[in-house]
Formats: sequence, structure tokens, C-alpha cells
Amino acid sequence: MKYLLYVVLIILLVPFQAVMYDRLAIFGVHADLALIAVCLIGLQAGELDAIIVGIVLGFTQDLFTGSTHWENLWLKPMLGLMASLASHNVVNLTLSFSLALLLALSVFSGSVMFLLKSLHGPGVDFLAAAQGIILPQACYDAVLGIVVLKLMQWAMPTRLHVPTAGYE
Amino acid sequence: MAGAKRAFVLLLAVLAIALLIVPEANDGPLKNMERALVSVASHPLRILDSVTQGIDSVWSRYLALRSVSDENRALRREIATLQEEANRLQEKAAATERLATLLNLKEELAYTTLAARVIARDPTNWYHSIVINKGQDDGVSIDMGVMTPTGAVGRVVKVQRQLAVVLLIIDRNNAITGLVQRTRDEGIVEGTEKGWAWIKYLPLLSNVKVGDIVVTSGMAGGFPRGLPIGRITRIERREAELFLSAEIQPDTDFGRLEEVLVIMNPRETGALPLLPVPDPSAPAKRTERIR
Repeated sequence: MKYLLYVVLIILLVPFQAVMYDRLAIFGVHADLALIAVCLIGLQAGELDAIIVGIVLGFTQDLFTGSTHWENLWLKPMLGLMASLASHNVVNLTLSFSLALLLALSVFSGSVMFLLKSLHGPGVDFLAAAQGIILPQACYDAVLGIVVLKLMQWAMPTRLHVPTAGYE
Repeated sequence: MAGAKRAFVLLLAVLAIALLIVPEANDGPLKNMERALVSVASHPLRILDSVTQGIDSVWSRYLALRSVSDENRALRREIATLQEEANRLQEKAAATERLATLLNLKEELAYTTLAARVIARDPTNWYHSIVINKGQDDGVSIDMGVMTPTGAVGRVVKVQRQLAVVLLIIDRNNAITGLVQRTRDEGIVEGTEKGWAWIKYLPLLSNVKVGDIVVTSGMAGGFPRGLPIGRITRIERREAELFLSAEIQPDTDFGRLEEVLVIMNPRETGALPLLPVPDPSAPAKRTERIR
């Protein structure tokens, strides 16, 4: 069941985001559905799942972006791993922890993307990027992520993966 | 007791007979009694009548409403169907108009183009790109230019078998060679965060003005010479710099791209179908040099 869900996610998520681009935007800012998915998998199912799904989702996302540097291929699994490692320290995923984690990971992802874009292209103003893309997207990601997490917890009350460190 | 009763019945009978035989002219007191009785009895009668009428009317309305409700439902369904059809036809008309424009342009162009449909956009906030439904199987390859009837759109950066990713000219990571149409000054056109473009490295002594049209120079990349890019809206002259820069507002609405043309071979002929007539006041020497 879990693997079926991953396959469906991998096949549908990025094309859905690419096609529904305009409809998913709030004030011109779009949530990164792949980032949310990878972080939630990291929180709910552990590192290995997050890394594997992150690699495939990142690769799929890179296929449809204008970027030629394959940033998402390594950034998405890294985010999943970070989410999973952070979740090792908690027994129950509280709303505030999950919100803060998603916000922080989205800001981290945005900052890395900004740095990479600055390295490969002409200089971009960081404050403008933070104001226009990084922070609004982080808020959008965090809120959407929390909604999805709550739905997941409602559908599956127990976490798929039990991090041993957190329960000892 | 029995005798009194009998007498009372007898009196009533006599009275009844008397009433029957009393001449009409002398029935005044009786009429008054009748009126009084009628006036008292008429109130409940009217009330009962109105109640009965009310019930009748409610019932008939209910019966009528049942049929009206069915009719209303059927009409609503019909309206919805017609609206859907109208929307579909409007969409078809708009698509036909767009495709006709594209087809006309395709026929006018001196180089081979391939019509493609925009099927998706960049799934991240970091790049301005579109995905088109033509790829390697259709002969699309990296660095090919993409255009619409309003001008240059971008260049192909990734190609799969059946789709390709086009980086728009308004993306910061895109750079194409541009030419100020009036002055024939050449520069590099790059995107900005605002979704506009900049032309950089214009000669410091160039007399470019706000409103000048910038076109593709055709010197490099997948674009032919003379494809419109946009109009200059601001010129930036910095003292320390050796070149001028100018902000360009593209003519193409990049948020509403639906169909595009991929330029398969920009250097097929030397014709410049989209190049507007140059201003005679433009310096001939420089024009000569660029050509």
C-alpha cells in the first residue's frame, strides 16, 4: 500500500503541479508540492523512504523545469533526510513542530535555490528573492503541508516508521 | 307535563302554518329576524369559505408547483447544457482565431517552424519556463528558438522524446542577442525578476530612446534576425560603466501562452518577414556593419 502510494505520488505529483500551475498560485506564488511530499514522507516514514522518493521526485521535477543543473535531484532527498532526522527527536508530531519544520526546510530550500541561481546566472538581489519568493513560498508550503499532515494523521493514526531514538 | 308539551308542539305547528300563510306585505318583523340571523351566521360562513378557498388554492398551487418544479429542473438542465456548449464554442472560436493567426504567420515565415502547444509550466518558482508538446520525435533540439506572432518567446533548454522545456526570454538565466531596431545597436537580452527583460552592453554613445523596439539580432542562438522582443521602457547610464543598459517590456504576454512556433532552422533564408521598415534616420554605416 505504501509503495503504491509512492508510485502514484511520483507519477502524478510533478505533472499535476506543472499543469495546475496557475490554479495553485496565491498572489503569484506556488507551493512546492514535491518539497511538501518529501518532508512529510521523512516525518512519517523515515529516512530511506524520504531519500528514495526525494531522488525520484526531484529528478522528475528537474525534467520539467527550465534549470539545467539538476538541483532538485539532490535537494529534495536532502530535505527529506533533514525532516526525518528532525522527527527522530519527537515522539508525537505536534502542529507547531511540524509547521516550524516545514517552514524552516522550505526557507532552506529557497535559499539554496537562490544561491545556485546566483552562481549560474547573473546576480539577483537576495532581499527581493526572499520577499518575493522564499518567504511567501515557505508560508504556503508550511500551511499546505500541515493540512496534508493532518489529513494523513486522520487517515493513518500511527506513523509508518517508529524512530527508535525517539522512543527510547 | 305531557299536556304542556303537547300544547307547545301544537303552538309551533300553528306558528309554522301562520308563517306560511302570512301575506308578504306583513312579513316585516320576520324579515328583520331573518336579517339578524343571517348577519350573525354570515361571519362563520365567510370564515369557513375563506378557509376552504385557502386550502383549495394551496392544493392547486402545490399541484401546479409540482409540474413547475419539474419544468424548472428541466429548464435549468437545458440552460446548463447550453451554457456549456456556448463556453465550448467560445473556446473553440478563440482557439481557431489563435491557430489561424499562427498558421498565417507560419505561412509567411521564410524559415521552417513547428507549431506546438503549451502543456505545462515550470513547477518551481525559480525559473520562467514552459513545457511544449513537441520533442525529439518531431525534430526539436536544444537551443532552438520559440516564437509567437507577437515575437520571441524563449529557447529550448531540455528535450525529451515527446516534449521540450523552453526557457522564456524573461528568465534571468536566459540570454539572447538583441538589436535596437532604430539605432542598430547590438546587445545581450536577459530576463529580470519583474518578468521583463534587459538589454545589456549597448554602446555608451548609442542614442537609444524610450519606446525603441528591440528585435533579435540573429547573430547567435536559434532566432532569425528581426524577431520582435519588446520596447525599451527605461535606459540606465552608469558613470563607471562602459556600456548602456535598457529595460525592455516584452510584447508577448508570457502568462497566457497557449500555442507557439518552434523555429527549426532560423538561417534557412536571409528573408526578414517580421522586420519592420527601418527608420531612414538610422545610421547607415552601423547598419551595414551589422548586416
